[in-house]
Amino acid sequence: MYTLLRILIGGIFIFSGLGKLLGPYQNFLYVVQAYQLLPSWGEFLTAQIFPWIELLVGVFVFLGMWIPWGLRGAAVLFGIFVVVVGQALIRGLPLENCGCFGGLVHFKPQTVIIMDSAGLLLTYVLLRNLSYVKKFSLDSYFD
Amino acid sequence: MNKLQSSLVIVLVLAGLVVGAKAFLAPKKDPVNLQEARAKGDPGAKVKIVEFIDFQCPACAYGVKYLKTFFDQHPNDIYLQVRYFPLTNMHHHAMTSALYSECAARQGKFWALDDLMIPQQAQWAQLISPEPVFQAMAVQAGINIDQLNACLASDDARKVINDEKSLGQSMGISSTPTYFINGKMVVGTKSLQDELKTYFPG
Repeated sequence: MYTLLRILIGGIFIFSGLGKLLGPYQNFLYVVQAYQLLPSWGEFLTAQIFPWIELLVGVFVFLGMWIPWGLRGAAVLFGIFVVVVGQALIRGLPLENCGCFGGLVHFKPQTVIIMDSAGLLLTYVLLRNLSYVKKFSLDSYFD
Repeated sequence: MNKLQSSLVIVLVLAGLVVGAKAFLAPKKDPVNLQEARAKGDPGAKVKIVEFIDFQCPACAYGVKYLKTFFDQHPNDIYLQVRYFPLTNMHHHAMTSALYSECAARQGKFWALDDLMIPQQAQWAQLISPEPVFQAMAVQAGINIDQLNACLASDDARKVINDEKSLGQSMGISSTPTYFINGKMVVGTKSLQDELKTYFPG
């Protein structure tokens, strides 16, 4: 059960990171700009770097390597998504979709904030049960 | 191999796979197709802009207004061409508005209809059926209504629109408005403004 949850969370981040990385970075830059949070240089850096962070966190959580750090990274990412999408909703920004998975899947911001909050909660549960989460992981092989 | 070394190998393999996949999936270059009916400006201008739009997308309407002003300020320096990219899964009237635009273009009235359709987007976007509004705009734009309706009833205009959308998708487009400025892809009006500043500083 915990192992499946870990694989699911890792898979979500792999899917999300790849969805952005495999297309032109300009598409994700447009999404970042829509949230109106950063200066231009920050938007550019985020569009270039953020998908790689998602992919790396996703792969390490999926494989079960450096699990505590990977899960903390996943929690930070979920937390960032909740804050960023939440502030956009509060400010009434005209977002038609969240842009979370590149061009692969579209969710409305209201939907995605619920999904991210659930993801954050599940990640917290996994962090509290690390001994179970490590089953069938590369950590259990190396440690 | 210890854990740290294995981690490094995973990161390197991952980076290699992604870079390789990106190169394999690299968007095709846009062959500038001189669709004169949906273009304006001098084809030899120093800045060529190909604009992929969905007529029901609010950001596209903003971009069209911005480009219209910019074009009026630099009429000899810009060649502007419009391509269709209707987001039919998000906008109910995306295809209908594109069809009217394409059929207007076949009568040389693309820009005349565009000048009416875009400023009123917020109104017709909320209608269950915008066709009566589009028909009235067509009359106002001086379009022959019989020819327009014959065009709307044919599959040909729809095919042109779908083909252009497929072309856009093959070039990596997933949202609108997307522009190619002298072949460089930019998405959204903010990036468009930034890119145009490099050609027209100040």
